[in-house]
Amino acid sequence: MSGDMRFTLKVWRQKNAAEMGRFEIYEAKGVSPDMSLFEMLDAVNEDLILKGEDPIAFDHDCREGICGTCGSVINGQPHGPETGTTTCQVFMRLFKAGDTITIEPFRAKAFPVVKDLIVDRSAFDRIIAAGGYVSVGTGAAPEANTLPVPKEKSELAMDAAACIGCGACVAACPNAAAMLFVGAKISHLGLLPQGQPERDRRSIALRRAMDREGFGNCTNHAECEAACPKEIKMRNIARFNRDYLKASFLSEE
Amino acid sequence: MNELIRRILFSSIGKKILVGVTGVLLCGFLISHLAGNLFLLVGEEAFNHYAETLAHNPFILPAELALLAVFLAHIAVAAVVSIQNKAARPVAYEVQRSKGGSTVGSRTMVYSGVLLFVFLVVHIKTFKYGDVGPGLYHLVLTSFQNPFYTAFYVLAMAAAGLHLSHGAQSAFQTLGINHPRYTPLIKAAGWVFAAGISLGFASLPLWAYFRTGGLP
Repeated sequence: MSGDMRFTLKVWRQKNAAEMGRFEIYEAKGVSPDMSLFEMLDAVNEDLILKGEDPIAFDHDCREGICGTCGSVINGQPHGPETGTTTCQVFMRLFKAGDTITIEPFRAKAFPVVKDLIVDRSAFDRIIAAGGYVSVGTGAAPEANTLPVPKEKSELAMDAAACIGCGACVAACPNAAAMLFVGAKISHLGLLPQGQPERDRRSIALRRAMDREGFGNCTNHAECEAACPKEIKMRNIARFNRDYLKASFLSEE
Repeated sequence: MNELIRRILFSSIGKKILVGVTGVLLCGFLISHLAGNLFLLVGEEAFNHYAETLAHNPFILPAELALLAVFLAHIAVAAVVSIQNKAARPVAYEVQRSKGGSTVGSRTMVYSGVLLFVFLVVHIKTFKYGDVGPGLYHLVLTSFQNPFYTAFYVLAMAAAGLHLSHGAQSAFQTLGINHPRYTPLIKAAGWVFAAGISLGFASLPLWAYFRTGGLP
């Protein structure tokens, strides 16, 4: 696949977390409008490898917009200019030939750079480990109708469970807050009957884990909602605030 | 009790709730303050009578101290939150472009807040500790003969409008109130409130500056 578009790429290069990073300029030639941004980076990397230089490191896995592995800030926008998509779904037809495209990593104290465009998002894993789960005794599957779930609640829980943990909410937030991510966990577990026994404990534990990781405080800009590839809503943050308030004042645990 | 203080004072969500609750209380103060100020338009006697009644109320001192505490809590917690938020992104983006969501108001809360703080100091110095010998009405009118002072007030009230355009509706979200049916209404009401407070307060220095007829 080749074409006749050219681009100037301004890409963040950083050897590791300890060293200072900087921007490097690369020329991408012969780009087809049907190439994805990653396919263009693949082509640039092949050239770099042939020249004996270090290729640009970026996270990617499924390249289908569903796994949550990829994530870069493209021209100032996490996951690029389109809404409801991930970085791997950014196609070169979105840009004008000759454009300069700035590509940088998600920036947050809680997401240290591993290399170039790859950041360490294990802070999210530690938040989940602190209480983003439901403790259930395994055994034979219960009879389905013993646990009624209202249709609306199950829909809302599923909307929140669509979170792929990519971290774009943190990257987009002017405060680098993780409230949309955590709010999504609060909703997807807290709206279902199985999530009730640990609901109070969960909001307290997740908040504590979130603060410990060094994320910022939410000031309701709503940039997270706009950048979320799964279009998870600010309502989930309000539910987190509500659950936390309720657990802080009323929990008898 | 210790646990509760820890959960509210030393947590991200708790601090935001404090800013929200104190913000809502301050909104209540703004309404009563504006209503009182509008006596200016009724006339000298009415305004001075109102001002003196207020000043001689035996409960005014505890009320003022409570108001001061609310103001200081709002400012101090918001300052801590802002400093922490700055620290949460040590390396800034080279390019940053909104995908939607944030507003001019939300992005300038710190700046409008700082300007309002400066305004508060000037405002209290002028009208609370100024020379009220010939009556507060006289002091208000003479103060606003100065075009710079008047312009400063109008600018500060524009900042108040900007601050409230985000703050008023945002407090609801922080307190956990967000509903697909009512949130658009809350946002609209927040904008109306911000515009009303801002225009209402700004109208008074402008009226005092541009009114014809001599000073009382």
